[in-house]
Amino acid sequence: MTAILEAHALGMRYGRRQALTDCTLNIPPGHVVGLVGPNGAGKSTLLKLACGLLNPTSGSIRVLGNAPGSGPEQLARVGFLAQDAPVYPHLSVADHLRLGAHLNPRWDQDFAERRVAQLDLDPTQKAGKLSGGQRAQLALTVAAGKRPELLLLDEPVASLDPLARREFLKHLMESVADNDTSVILSSHLISDLERVCDYLIVLVSSRVRLAGEVDQITAAHHRIVCTRREPDTLPAGLEVVLAEHTDRQSTFVVRTDAPLPAGDWAAESLSMEDLVLTYMETAAANPRRARQDSEVAR
Amino acid sequence: MSWLTWRQFRTQTLVAAALLAAAAVYLLITGTQLRHSYSADLITCQSPSAHYSCAGLLNGLQNDYNGALDLFALLVLAAPALVGIFWGAPLIAGELERGTYYMTWNQSVTRTRWLAVKLAAIALASIAAAGLVSLLMTWWASPLDTISGNRFGTQAFNARNVVPLGYAAFAFALGVTLGLLIRRTLPAMAATLAIFIAVQLVVTVLVRPNVMPATVTTVPINQTTMSQAVRFDRAREVTGPVTIDLPAPPGSWNLSQTPALNSAGQPIQTSEILTCWNQLISRGPVAIKGDGNPPFASLGACLAPLNLHVDITYQPADRYWPLQWIETAFYAALAALLAAFCFRRIRRLG
Repeated sequence: MTAILEAHALGMRYGRRQALTDCTLNIPPGHVVGLVGPNGAGKSTLLKLACGLLNPTSGSIRVLGNAPGSGPEQLARVGFLAQDAPVYPHLSVADHLRLGAHLNPRWDQDFAERRVAQLDLDPTQKAGKLSGGQRAQLALTVAAGKRPELLLLDEPVASLDPLARREFLKHLMESVADNDTSVILSSHLISDLERVCDYLIVLVSSRVRLAGEVDQITAAHHRIVCTRREPDTLPAGLEVVLAEHTDRQSTFVVRTDAPLPAGDWAAESLSMEDLVLTYMETAAANPRRARQDSEVAR
Repeated sequence: MSWLTWRQFRTQTLVAAALLAAAAVYLLITGTQLRHSYSADLITCQSPSAHYSCAGLLNGLQNDYNGALDLFALLVLAAPALVGIFWGAPLIAGELERGTYYMTWNQSVTRTRWLAVKLAAIALASIAAAGLVSLLMTWWASPLDTISGNRFGTQAFNARNVVPLGYAAFAFALGVTLGLLIRRTLPAMAATLAIFIAVQLVVTVLVRPNVMPATVTTVPINQTTMSQAVRFDRAREVTGPVTIDLPAPPGSWNLSQTPALNSAGQPIQTSEILTCWNQLISRGPVAIKGDGNPPFASLGACLAPLNLHVDITYQPADRYWPLQWIETAFYAALAALLAAFCFRRIRRLG
């Protein structure tokens, strides 16, 4: 099956600012992908490249096997929900559904109307009068109603309160469940995505630091605590992601695709949140090292 | 796409249609009255027992309607600018500013098609609106234009016939382009107005007089020609030039005149005509033109032996339509260039 997103040495530069650097990815289909990173890491840039809103300044990207935004057919296959969920303030909720119906050959009016009813939105209400959560839900309805094969969501829950976040993600999962839609959604908080995504990409300072299926990533990473030692005295095959030393103790976060060998240490697995934070910290502390890590991680 | 275009443009269309309808009704009523007065005046002054001259009577009519004429001309001149500001500038800038282009450009319609439909539909509406306003104005003002005989005046040329259509197409494309470049509606509106006015000024003042080669005619100074003179002016110093304003051929566009020249083509000095001048003013104060008794005829007779002449540079009357069409085509070409630029640019926009 075609990868949902395939990128080779993808780079994007705005004037003098490098927003995305040397990004190589191959995301297999059928995943809900979490794209995590601090603000300004390049998450929006990657998503806009994927839907064709931006053209890369270097490297290549293919989405569902085609160049992004290459024509009406490709546009129909990819849905995009931008940050802050922009809608037309003077158009009503029903007008937004009509917009979707008029501009998309595969538009699912039943689904859209059902969702609007579920969400308790008044179809005659002007979109400018909706709350932030309702607006996000309306924009999601338009993006999902065109029945795309891949749905890209840029910080969809950032502006929502905790209850609305939960509601939004629940509806998102319901919307994509029936149709085997793949999803890439970004957030600067892993806690937003933990519950829904089964594939993870960590993006820090314009570079991909980690990418892979959540199960494999969590299984491959361990935190070991041992008497103080240098990283290179650890057994071969352990990739050190993070090393911290006190006077008498060393703590390592290591990655290995093989089972962790036994040793004179205490080992524990890491939560997704710990793992993501570890990668963000090392990236911030040492950008060059972190890049090597990410290359191994691929 | 056509549904979305109509839905987003609906309010503006209806407002514009209402304004146009109101203006049309008013122009039709006053225009009919103007025509009645015009033909009544003609009948009055052409009857054998007329007490008034046709020139005087029609002059009065012209004065009565001068205020309305200026106001309507202003409306016709403003219509393209309004189109550029309110229909052109927000077209893309509004989407960029509100972020709604993220939604629209991610439906199953390419941005090229999105832009094509929007540009075509609203440009057509703009041109139609300007065309209607211009048609009404041309009809309304035609008796006054006949009286004044001056079709090349800025107000008369820019606010009649086909040029307003070109202006509207250009102003709209300019607004769209600036909106795309500036990405914010209000600054784009301001820039549209400023640049549109600047282009209009440059074309009217610098391009239009030179776009077709002007005709130069040499008018000798004698009793006949001087009886038509509008102005005669000598310099204070005896070495200064002598200015004589002679009318260009009827209906033509007078661009420039030389001062009085001698047979060698050199400007003559005031000292050379002082004798004739003193003769003229010795008969009392020089009457001002307009009383039907040209004061300069005798001066012309006195000057005739000096073999003087004036060169008049002008556009003949039959250049009116070529100039109208050339200018319309020029603005239309500018609009097409801007539109092409928008299509190129919008593909690379993120």
